[in-house]
Amino acid sequence: METLLDFARGPLFRLTFIIMILGLLRVLILDIYGAVEAYRRAGDKRLDWKNAIIKTLRWIFPFKSAFAQRPFYSALSILFHIGLILTPLFLLAHIQLWEDGIGISWWSLPHFWADFLTILTIIAGLGLITGRLASRGARALSRKQDYFWLFILLIPFITGYICANTAISPSAYQAFMLIHILAGELIFVLIPFSKIAHCVLMPISQFIITLAWKFPARVDDKIAETLKKKGMPV
Amino acid sequence: MDRVKTFKSILWALTGLAIAFGITRMFFGLGSVSNLSDATPWGIWKGLNVIPGIALAGGGFVMTAVIYIMRREEYKRYSKITVLLAFLGYITAATALVVELGLPWMVWKPIIYWQHHSALFEVSWCVMLYLTVLFLEFIPVPMEETERLAKLRIFLNKYKIVLVFLGIMISTLHQSSLGTLFLITPEKLHPLWYSSLLPILFFISAVAVGPLMLVLAVMTMSYLYRKPLEKDKMANLAFGFMLVLALYGLIRFIDIISAGKLPLAFDGSWQAWIFWIEILLLLVIPVALLSFKKMRYSTPVLWITSISAVLGVGLDRANIAGIMLIRTGPVYIPTFYEISISFGILSAAILVFLFCVERFKIWEVKWEDPLEKPEAPPEFGGPADVWLGTPRIAGRTVYSLVFVLALALGFAMISSERIQSAGVEKVPASKARGGDTLFVDGNLDGYGTMFAHEDHIQRFGDKKSCDLCHHMNIPLDKHSGCYECHRNMYTTADAFRHDWHASPAGAKINCDKCHQPGVQRTASSAKTCDKCHNDLVAQNAVIKFEENEALSYTDAMHGLCVSCHKQKARVLEGKEDLDRCPTCHKVRDLESIPSEIKMQFIDTTFNHVVIPFPDLVNRVKIEAEQDG
Repeated sequence: METLLDFARGPLFRLTFIIMILGLLRVLILDIYGAVEAYRRAGDKRLDWKNAIIKTLRWIFPFKSAFAQRPFYSALSILFHIGLILTPLFLLAHIQLWEDGIGISWWSLPHFWADFLTILTIIAGLGLITGRLASRGARALSRKQDYFWLFILLIPFITGYICANTAISPSAYQAFMLIHILAGELIFVLIPFSKIAHCVLMPISQFIITLAWKFPARVDDKIAETLKKKGMPV
Repeated sequence: MDRVKTFKSILWALTGLAIAFGITRMFFGLGSVSNLSDATPWGIWKGLNVIPGIALAGGGFVMTAVIYIMRREEYKRYSKITVLLAFLGYITAATALVVELGLPWMVWKPIIYWQHHSALFEVSWCVMLYLTVLFLEFIPVPMEETERLAKLRIFLNKYKIVLVFLGIMISTLHQSSLGTLFLITPEKLHPLWYSSLLPILFFISAVAVGPLMLVLAVMTMSYLYRKPLEKDKMANLAFGFMLVLALYGLIRFIDIISAGKLPLAFDGSWQAWIFWIEILLLLVIPVALLSFKKMRYSTPVLWITSISAVLGVGLDRANIAGIMLIRTGPVYIPTFYEISISFGILSAAILVFLFCVERFKIWEVKWEDPLEKPEAPPEFGGPADVWLGTPRIAGRTVYSLVFVLALALGFAMISSERIQSAGVEKVPASKARGGDTLFVDGNLDGYGTMFAHEDHIQRFGDKKSCDLCHHMNIPLDKHSGCYECHRNMYTTADAFRHDWHASPAGAKINCDKCHQPGVQRTASSAKTCDKCHNDLVAQNAVIKFEENEALSYTDAMHGLCVSCHKQKARVLEGKEDLDRCPTCHKVRDLESIPSEIKMQFIDTTFNHVVIPFPDLVNRVKIEAEQDG
């Protein structure tokens, strides 16, 4: 068990964490590169920059648009995002691991707030699952991975809370810790290759959507040709 | 998958691995990735990348001489690729050198601080100047892509002949100077390789093999990109420089025979075997195969001869730069990390080479990826049945993924123990042996001091004095030995052992035994050790218990003894020398050490250097006699 823990904390952590960081950087760079290429090819080079920036900001701070429909679900989602990002980044136990490993440290959450945010995230996550299951429309739109993500994201929070606060036997502690680490590492690996990549792609997605409606220069003839309607009004 | 795609994917993976290890080397020092030591400071980076790299990049000056000075216009087509090959070869060597230098940020020093007596001074100046020349020779090629720099490009092309002359001059100087470097090793280098003609031999072999390297590169390119090969030109070129190679062989054998060293090649030692392998690769195969006109023009023969000559000159340089030098330490075996960095630097250079070939007019036209048809319809049916886009887009998707995965794998493979000890091996400290007088020799290498234990007890007031030095006891013990907590010879150890306390296999204690509920579980908020272990700390000890990190055994011994000795040296009459090193570190006759202690001496490696015990004692004795 201890060798397994050491492996999960050492090599496996380095592997998965770097796959996540560089993988996210990779999709970001590839997307921007593709967008720039598309822009160069575009026949109509006018872009609605202003609208795209406003839309992006509205999605990053969704105070207005999100509450138009299903306000409770939206509020839960925002709370879930806050807990999901802040807790692992500013937890003292995590920062100490960084300090022991490569000697960097930063500001940490007080114990009460760390616990509070953890429980908040768990409750919000359970709420999101319920919300998805309860609404017929949401159920119809959901894919398998939408449920999977809510489920897998909650595992490290639940096990982390147990490990940090309860007085369990050392063997149970190690088992929970192993689940905590392995689930976290599974999340790391999957992030750049799944919908969670929106954590870095979000700021550019509106621009890419705007660009997606641009066709390459003089493409209209080719479309007409492909549709076998050359010379006819399309 | 297409040839280029497979090849490039492998190269990206190797580059990724090397970057991970290279970052580790830059942040945590040479010891974190390499087996290099003071005894073997030149490893695979020198023996594979730097010295053979410079020799193989010699094609640059040779081919420019052939094309622009001998006016062999038929090879003009190869002028750009030969310059690019040389430029990247030198960049590879320079990069490997920066990785390998202990203090890489000092690499600029030879520019300012001149040391006229050093061959390396000349080499470093020449390499820097020649890199500049090669840069100026190659830069017009990328400049063709834009019209803005047309004037500068035309200017550079107009005065190309000046650059060609400079290149030949500088290359002649430093290719031979690399041989000059080894002239100071007549006692160290094996006689079959050592010769006062080394500078000349280095120069001639570089002249001969450089163009064969070009042949190899051109053939690889035409294989990868499925382009026709100008076989007759390549064969003629190979034949011409085979004659130079034969001249090299002639000089070398005349030198060996006239010095009477030939019997050494038949003495059956491993050096003799390697000598014959080198001769076979470098001389016999190329000269024999290329001599026959019929064989010269066949593709397999060109492949075999160029590969064989390149490997041969590589082996020759590696032999002279390391393998055949007399060993002063244990056998140096490069680590996986070192080999990876070596091949990664090469891979990155080849990727740049392929990029230039595809995107610039290295030949008359750009060699784009053969699959690059921007308007080709999507093709499904791969293993994942996903269309990744046009070949260029699919390429960058796949290469970047391979690169990221390899880099992450590289970081996962790094040994944290190597990093934390910064290359110092973790040597367990062992118990001091003996009775009234203890022999303190933590790493059992025979170096040690006799510590008059009983004498110290008497001096400081009998049994009451134990606590002065024995400042901490392990639970249920009294006056524990130093080695119990100061477990490592040169690195710190954790005296508290948190993991053991919390482990089901160890003390099996619940978290809340030491950590209070509702508080962050940190070292500072936990209960102190003495809440459970009441006899842990000795009250009147010289060393006060402050933290759980136990110093290394050597630091602990010196810290305790020297601080007390310093104090006493000031107080006691006639004991002014008490705090000097020889007070404890005396040279003793082997006979005076009790036999039961001597039995336990073992040879051990100290930081990769074998210290044979009898020699050591003799050497120390001789030095001591000389010092009086």
